[in-house]
Amino acid sequence: MVELTLQALFSGLLAGGTYATLALGLALVFGTMRIINLAHGELVLLAAYVAFEMERSAGLNPLASIPVALVVVGLTALAIYLAVSRIRTDRELNSLLLTFGVAIVLTNLILIVWSADIRSTSSGWFLEGFVIADTLFSMRSEVVFFGVGLALIAATWWWLNHSWLGRALRAVSSNRDAALLMGVNPALVEGLSFVVSGVLATFSGIAIYCATVVFPALGHNLTIKAFVITVLAGMGSVPGVLIGAILIGMGESLTATFAKPSLQELTAMVVFLLILFLRPRGLFGRR
Amino acid sequence: MRAAPRTPLVLAVLLLAYVAVPLAFGGQDYVMSLIIAALTIGGIAVAWALLGNLGGLVSFGHAAFFGVGAYVSALLTLDAGWPVLPAMLAGGLGAAVASVATLPALRLRGPYFALAILAYAHIFKILAVEFESVTGGAGGLLSIPGFPTVLGLELGSKVGAYCLILTIVLAWMAVYAAIRGSTWGLALRAMHDSELATRVVGVPSTHLKALMLLVSAFMTGVIGAFNAHQISFLDPDYAFSGEWTVLPIAAAIFGGYRTVWGPVIGALAVYLVDQLVFKELMPSGHQLIFGLLLGAMILWSPQGLLPLISRLGLRSGEGGDKEGKPGARA
Repeated sequence: MVELTLQALFSGLLAGGTYATLALGLALVFGTMRIINLAHGELVLLAAYVAFEMERSAGLNPLASIPVALVVVGLTALAIYLAVSRIRTDRELNSLLLTFGVAIVLTNLILIVWSADIRSTSSGWFLEGFVIADTLFSMRSEVVFFGVGLALIAATWWWLNHSWLGRALRAVSSNRDAALLMGVNPALVEGLSFVVSGVLATFSGIAIYCATVVFPALGHNLTIKAFVITVLAGMGSVPGVLIGAILIGMGESLTATFAKPSLQELTAMVVFLLILFLRPRGLFGRR
Repeated sequence: MRAAPRTPLVLAVLLLAYVAVPLAFGGQDYVMSLIIAALTIGGIAVAWALLGNLGGLVSFGHAAFFGVGAYVSALLTLDAGWPVLPAMLAGGLGAAVASVATLPALRLRGPYFALAILAYAHIFKILAVEFESVTGGAGGLLSIPGFPTVLGLELGSKVGAYCLILTIVLAWMAVYAAIRGSTWGLALRAMHDSELATRVVGVPSTHLKALMLLVSAFMTGVIGAFNAHQISFLDPDYAFSGEWTVLPIAAAIFGGYRTVWGPVIGALAVYLVDQLVFKELMPSGHQLIFGLLLGAMILWSPQGLLPLISRLGLRSGEGGDKEGKPGARA
């Protein structure tokens, strides 16, 4: 019992690293532009399918396809930004509808190009076991991408707090007009937040491809999961996103271990409802 | 509020819909099925538009209400022996009750509601699969009773089903028009311009929004129930399919969700063109078109096609109306 619980918590912790990367991309754009990019999960999925295609046609290791995926996903994210920035009236509502439309387009493009089959990596290295202290089991991919996730979160946090552009981004997010008067170009910063979000999406997409399976309808679920974590964490806290992601990861693996794997998806939803009811600004939210 | 001079037009359309369409296509089952399906989408689109226009809430989860309505009605007729037509109304009530679960999201501004309801559609689907003893699980429900014969009209036939869904959709349009024209409608539209100001003058804005959500869910639930009895089969993947969300949104945006006719005309246009043209061209992934359409409409004509045409067509009056107001922030 204790061992099972520890194992579930450990798996959840590792999943949390990938979830954090997934959610931070969404949270970043939400924070900067007050826009939820409903196509975020599809961007993640696109990275996974780029890795799949490179592996299938060129025999490349999923890690080696990261540069290509970065370019593809980054450009797609930029295109979404250019479309969203054209919206003049009723931006909150219309940007949701627009990114929803983009999500449908991407899902169906993926479906048309790569069919509805379930795909996973054929590189066995990632799927091999990795055991800590003879009791805690995991796959190599989970450990690798937990580390990558932590590094990305730390890098993003550092970037937002210590680089000029990162601080400009936070300035735009707290007061767009004041930032403009201080010589920050909001359009540049907002476009940048989409591109950084695309970079984060790329890494989480590759991580998901290496550790589990992907299929066209997955993007939708990823967007929901990213949003649940964002709400749980609250606005404007990067470490909060990491903690929220780990909590969701642990909740899911505990549900899968002690209840039923098919109920796993419900965990995040229930947490989401509780947060909406009890603490709408999230665990670590300011304001 | 500006319906008076259009009465002859409305009568002509009604005559066309109830008499000319069955006479022209009554013998062609395939065409009638397409029109019935398009009206089903149109009915959801009206419900979606009511919530979007009057409640100011974008829903990405109307599939949840559709599915709940379908399941409640199907189970009442199968297990409790209810007659079909009352069961359909109960299906609508069931969907309205289910929508109560989404109310906490109304307290929050911004995109929370949209995402919350997306999550709910997901929850309901998982519940339908898991509660196998009640819902039949992933295997679904078979041989759901069809429509009865009312006043000599066999509703189970294609023409009968057509008349039934047409009546439902027209009723929902009338409800939409009535609410829009009422004091509530005025308050709701004022809310769209400035929620704070409307609250200050004493409009219970959250209550009104919640009411719109209940009405919209009820409408969608009845449509879902109609669909269940028409095709007499139901499973979670079908009942809670994303299609019941995507198509109505595309239809409502295309036709113009701030008008009463827009969603239905949009549904007829979008669905028929999709089935007759794009489904032939690309057997899988033809929903792509809806995504493109949605994006293009938002970018170039967010008020829909109908206002665009009428703006080009009749230049007279209406300049100060809701449609096409430039630059106003909501």
